[in-house]
Amino acid sequence: MKRSPREITGWSAAIAIVVIASLIPIVWIISLSFKDPSTIADGSFLPTKWTWTNYSGIFKQSLFTDALRNSIGIALIATLISVVLACFAAYAIARLDFPGKRLILVFALAIAMFPPISIVGPLYNMWRNIGLYDTWPGLIIPYMTFALPLAIFTLSAFFREIPWELEQAAQVDGATPFQAFFKVIAPLAAPGVFTTAILVFLFCWNDFVFAVSLTSTSKAETVPAAIASFPGASQFTAPIGSIAAAAVVVTIPIIVIVLLFQRRIVAGLTAGAVKG
Amino acid sequence: MSATAATNQPVTPAPSRKRHLTERARAERRLGWSLVAPAGIVMIAVSIYPIVYAFVLSLQRADLRFPAANKFIGLDNYKTVLTSPLWWQDVWHTVVLTVIPVSLELVIGMALALIMHRVIFGRGPVRAIALIPYGIVTVVAAYSWRYAWEADSGWIPHLLGLKSDPLTSTFRSYLAIIVSEVWKTTPFMALLLLGGLALVPDELHEAAKVDGATAWQRFWRITIPLMKPAILVALLFRTLDAFRIFDTVYIFNQGAHGTETVSILAYNQLLNRLNLGLGSAVSVLIFLMVALIAFLFIKGFGAAAAPGGGER
Amino acid sequence: MRKLVALSAAALAALVTGCGGSSGGAATLNWYIFPEPSGSFAAAAKQCSAASGGRYNIVLNQLPSDSDSQRTQLVRRLAAKDSGIDIIGMDVNWTSEFAEAGWIKPWTGANKAAVTRGVLAGPIATATWKNTLYGAPLNSNTQLLWYRKDLVPTPPATWAQMIQEATALAKQGKPHLIEVQGRQYEGLTVWFNSLVESAGGRILSGPSTVAIGPAAALAAAVMHNVANSPGADPGLSNAQEDQGRLGFEKGDAAFEVNYPFVYPSALADTPKLAKVMGWANYPAVVAGRPARVTIGGENLAVSSFSQHPAAAFAAITCLVNAQHQTVDAVKGGLPPTLSALFDSPALAKAYPFHALIKQALQNPAIRPQTPAYSDISLAIQKGLSPPNAIDPSTIVKTLRSQIKAALSSGALL
Repeated sequence: MKRSPREITGWSAAIAIVVIASLIPIVWIISLSFKDPSTIADGSFLPTKWTWTNYSGIFKQSLFTDALRNSIGIALIATLISVVLACFAAYAIARLDFPGKRLILVFALAIAMFPPISIVGPLYNMWRNIGLYDTWPGLIIPYMTFALPLAIFTLSAFFREIPWELEQAAQVDGATPFQAFFKVIAPLAAPGVFTTAILVFLFCWNDFVFAVSLTSTSKAETVPAAIASFPGASQFTAPIGSIAAAAVVVTIPIIVIVLLFQRRIVAGLTAGAVKG
Repeated sequence: MSATAATNQPVTPAPSRKRHLTERARAERRLGWSLVAPAGIVMIAVSIYPIVYAFVLSLQRADLRFPAANKFIGLDNYKTVLTSPLWWQDVWHTVVLTVIPVSLELVIGMALALIMHRVIFGRGPVRAIALIPYGIVTVVAAYSWRYAWEADSGWIPHLLGLKSDPLTSTFRSYLAIIVSEVWKTTPFMALLLLGGLALVPDELHEAAKVDGATAWQRFWRITIPLMKPAILVALLFRTLDAFRIFDTVYIFNQGAHGTETVSILAYNQLLNRLNLGLGSAVSVLIFLMVALIAFLFIKGFGAAAAPGGGER
Repeated sequence: MRKLVALSAAALAALVTGCGGSSGGAATLNWYIFPEPSGSFAAAAKQCSAASGGRYNIVLNQLPSDSDSQRTQLVRRLAAKDSGIDIIGMDVNWTSEFAEAGWIKPWTGANKAAVTRGVLAGPIATATWKNTLYGAPLNSNTQLLWYRKDLVPTPPATWAQMIQEATALAKQGKPHLIEVQGRQYEGLTVWFNSLVESAGGRILSGPSTVAIGPAAALAAAVMHNVANSPGADPGLSNAQEDQGRLGFEKGDAAFEVNYPFVYPSALADTPKLAKVMGWANYPAVVAGRPARVTIGGENLAVSSFSQHPAAAFAAITCLVNAQHQTVDAVKGGLPPTLSALFDSPALAKAYPFHALIKQALQNPAIRPQTPAYSDISLAIQKGLSPPNAIDPSTIVKTLRSQIKAALSSGALL
């Protein structure tokens, strides 16, 4: 297709604006993380004196490495469990006919709108009494709850698109139900499940309210909460360099995921929202 | 879909088929319920039960620092909250931090969605880069913007030649928080709108073009009306999300300089003061306000969806 | 299903966190305290463990860096009856709250005698609630006035003078800022408390009696005047201790009200500036009436949920002894609580200003002692933030009613 030069300039400008606006804060925090402590307050956009010390510093502290372990572990487990549970529910919603189906969807929608701050108080009080305060399950459970609606909506939108009659066809062709499911349906469902898992993982990785309320030590504190309580070099000094370095470390996997799976994320979010 | 499945069944005599179907239907019901149950139970156990518990706590004097003084006090906590000027100030701050960012996001998000939808080259990379802020941890985004604005370390005061610390004035604190929020959540808004844009058939645009409509007219007369449901969904989700704003304010200044929101207020009562009774009263009120906003939006949906029809 | 989920989650958690069970006979004592960068606490923990002859092993754990977050972590865990805390590094103003809630054990008999012998009266008072000792004073702290000897030949004796001199310096185009803590946080309460007591008043006269009056009006007026004078740092309403230190080291300031940690920092970062850095008593509010400065510092307490309380008491007795307090002071910049140490040669060398500190600690201003302290402090911070917006004519009334409400724990804060 031929495009007029005016059109090309216009689009180039629009793209440039989008790219710059999206990336400036990321470049800035990366730049901060490479600034030498003596120049951290110089206000220049790019480092005038480069250093790795902020990174070597945080990886030497168990404070950060523990938090990173907690973040990864908690987000993965919560993602795994909620995607499995959501698969059951979404399969039922997409394929089966039973009363109360709408109710489940309405209920999930209500949970999706629920303000988390409204339940952190009761959760803290319950957790402190049954010993779940400051533990992995203490965060995994609320993460699952708030990830489930997202997962159910996204998955049922995907499952509705699957041509289920293929399963029947395969059975007619002599495959066992088991084979029919795993050879025919599973490969068709996998992309949707994977996309849902990405969205749920991003949600858990991002949480701050629960993490800052329901944990307090390296036993279960995740990175966002740990960053916010990073100690400085002395009792009264601010740890800008370490915070920036830690922020970059938790951001890199996100950028990789987004760049690799952009198409899936777009499909997942738009499918869930439009069909919901 | 069950209809498709039924047609694939081998043909059987009518009477037995009928009985067979009801049995099937019953089995299907049972299967449906048991598949939905685990997710349903988790959601009920970790949301409905705590909110009921929050209500129970809100009727008591329950301060963990004075365990001996706990007792039932009826609606006193609600009276304290609703007569406190602080509560109403914080409600106002929260409204400001909801309405302004969401309006900006709608406008910018629409532009971004149009760019993502229509861009004539580099579509994949542009979409991917525009999505990055959506994936970034809110706390990280808030730190990046906070350090960008701070007088000593930031590049923004340097660039603008500001003498004073921008984050010490209420107006500029709001500005900084709003910029941070809009940056972080506009891509999400754009994505939801993009889903709506995809539903607008190109033929309508072509036809209107033939009739001599300008791009501006086509946008307002065709795109916007057809996207109405998508816009409402996007607005609903973002409004509710913005109303519970916590992370960004917490990182910027924990609510100093008149930026305290209702979520920060609840957090302070509950988890800094361990005053569970008073904090729960605030929590329940936040819950009610969120429910009210959702109710109003959904009533709005009904009105909007009725003439245009649902999607299915 | 749910059970299964909970079980597998719990199993995983156990897998990840289930490390570090105490071995053999030595009791593991978890000591939680603010992050101390010089390593003097870590060294003390090691030495005391070794000296115990296998009775206990102290593990040093870091709390967050600012005192509000330290307290938040501790109270949440103590309210959850967390047995993973044995020794608590308490800010001096938490004693009554922790004691009243039943989270810390009282000190009695020989233990009490061992940790109070030769200790200055101020620190002991901060560790006492309802005539019972709840903590062993570990270190103390107080603010001094730091100034530029090259700009100001004699240090100002009062806040009013300091403002005047800053204004004069500003007119001459010289560095003139006054660095002080104006952010909405505990430091703002510290500033206000020092000013109120320097003016001859008190915030509370008993655990539940508000005593805010004319002295508080004078104090608030000082804050208002500083914040609206040419000497006010543009970042005053966001300034904590460290912003003050950086501002002074940058060379924009002529005065700084801050803890002694700024001196070794200046020696290291800006040796030239350190040469012209003078120190003086905290400025007075009323001419002729010496200031009373808010006392800071840490006391060590034994958690009620510790599984080894006897060992914890013994360990604290060791951690606060003269030898370790000297190291904390010289290496870590934390003023001691033992009176005799102030006159020791080691301290005199590291603290050229030791006499001023001792003098301030002998008659310090103690922050209100009440279980609702954190609420009161919050009420004060909210009422006084930002300092440039204080209305001296109404502030006393506002603060009085807010503190009253805070005392009953029935106020929204």
